[in-house]
Amino acid sequence: MSRGVRGLRVGRVICTALLVLGISGHLIAQTQAKQPGAAKNAVAKNSSARASAAPVDITALKAVGTKAAPITMEVFSDFQCPACRELYFQTVRPVIDNYVSAGKVYLIHRDNPLQQHPHSREAARYANAAARVRKMEKVVVALFDKQANWAADGNIDGVVAAALTPAEMNQVRKLVRSGTLDAGIDRDLALGNQFRVTQTPTTIITYKGQTYPVVGVVTYNMLKTFLDQLLRQ
Amino acid sequence: MMRWLIFLGRVALGFVFVYAAYTKLFEYTAEGWRQLPWISFAATIQSYKVLPEDAAMFLAKTLPWFELALGVLLLIGVQLRWVATAASVLLLTFFAVLVRSYVLGMNIDCGCFGPGDRLTWKTLLRDGLLLFMSISVTVGAFLTRRKTADVSALTRAPQPADGRSE
Repeated sequence: MSRGVRGLRVGRVICTALLVLGISGHLIAQTQAKQPGAAKNAVAKNSSARASAAPVDITALKAVGTKAAPITMEVFSDFQCPACRELYFQTVRPVIDNYVSAGKVYLIHRDNPLQQHPHSREAARYANAAARVRKMEKVVVALFDKQANWAADGNIDGVVAAALTPAEMNQVRKLVRSGTLDAGIDRDLALGNQFRVTQTPTTIITYKGQTYPVVGVVTYNMLKTFLDQLLRQ
Repeated sequence: MMRWLIFLGRVALGFVFVYAAYTKLFEYTAEGWRQLPWISFAATIQSYKVLPEDAAMFLAKTLPWFELALGVLLLIGVQLRWVATAASVLLLTFFAVLVRSYVLGMNIDCGCFGPGDRLTWKTLLRDGLLLFMSISVTVGAFLTRRKTADVSALTRAPQPADGRSE
């Protein structure tokens, strides 16, 4: 056997060994970083976060559809983020029309106001207040529809007022001024951290106990293909 | 020297391709390892707005496996000229699409190494370096092959019957 050929064979063996070592090292490091204990804590925290919202089930108020639906979709969204607006009108609305109405999807809005958007937390407060008076959907549509306007001048109150009746708006204003809504928004943020949401929009799809994260704007046709694939399983 | 540079280049590229595939295909969760759904990568591909939906979905399902195969083949060093050429063509395509999106000011995820990897000038620099490395390995692989072929041709050249050289 020539020296060159032997050298190449040795090189291949070294490469394969490095590949195996690298992958197994990475797997071990990740496994140690996330021990079962940590996972149980995360689940426990999640449950307690949900349980602490027990007096008013705000999640149910921020959701559309039936809880018995086989698929749950949680959309982590920021009202001031243009991509979230795109996702809402291009994908979420058709999902509501075709899957939520058919009892196949339970859709939950989750707040994930980003720090770089100065008005997004205030917008989330208005949306949460509207949820408590059962007018969330109307307000969400108005906020996304007029996003450019209130993002520029900060007049969220005016946009929401145009979408509600004066009586509803009075209730919403009272709730916003009460300062009690931030806890709910922070709970959504904490839940987002558990799902490792790093950007908006991020959609978490849950089916038969499995969660599937979808980061960014997904078109309705793609989502439809994926949901149909899940439902066929 | 050249052989060692090619060796280091292909091993580095191999690891990069295997890692890129891994971040698109698998995730560690509280329940253990699992395969990521294709839809997340499809959404990233779609955000570049260069392919129709069907093509984006097809690519999302196949590209990570292709990257994995390329990475493993680079690490093993089989058919290096053709594997390195394929890697260079792939990286050149990625680089062209990234430059286009950056110039257009698209605020999107690169998608190169899983979700959360924003497209910035650093992404272009990183991918540019990878492309340079890949092209160098490809050229090196072809040059080395030619030299080896020349040497073999010389050693196999017919000798005069009386043993005298001309």
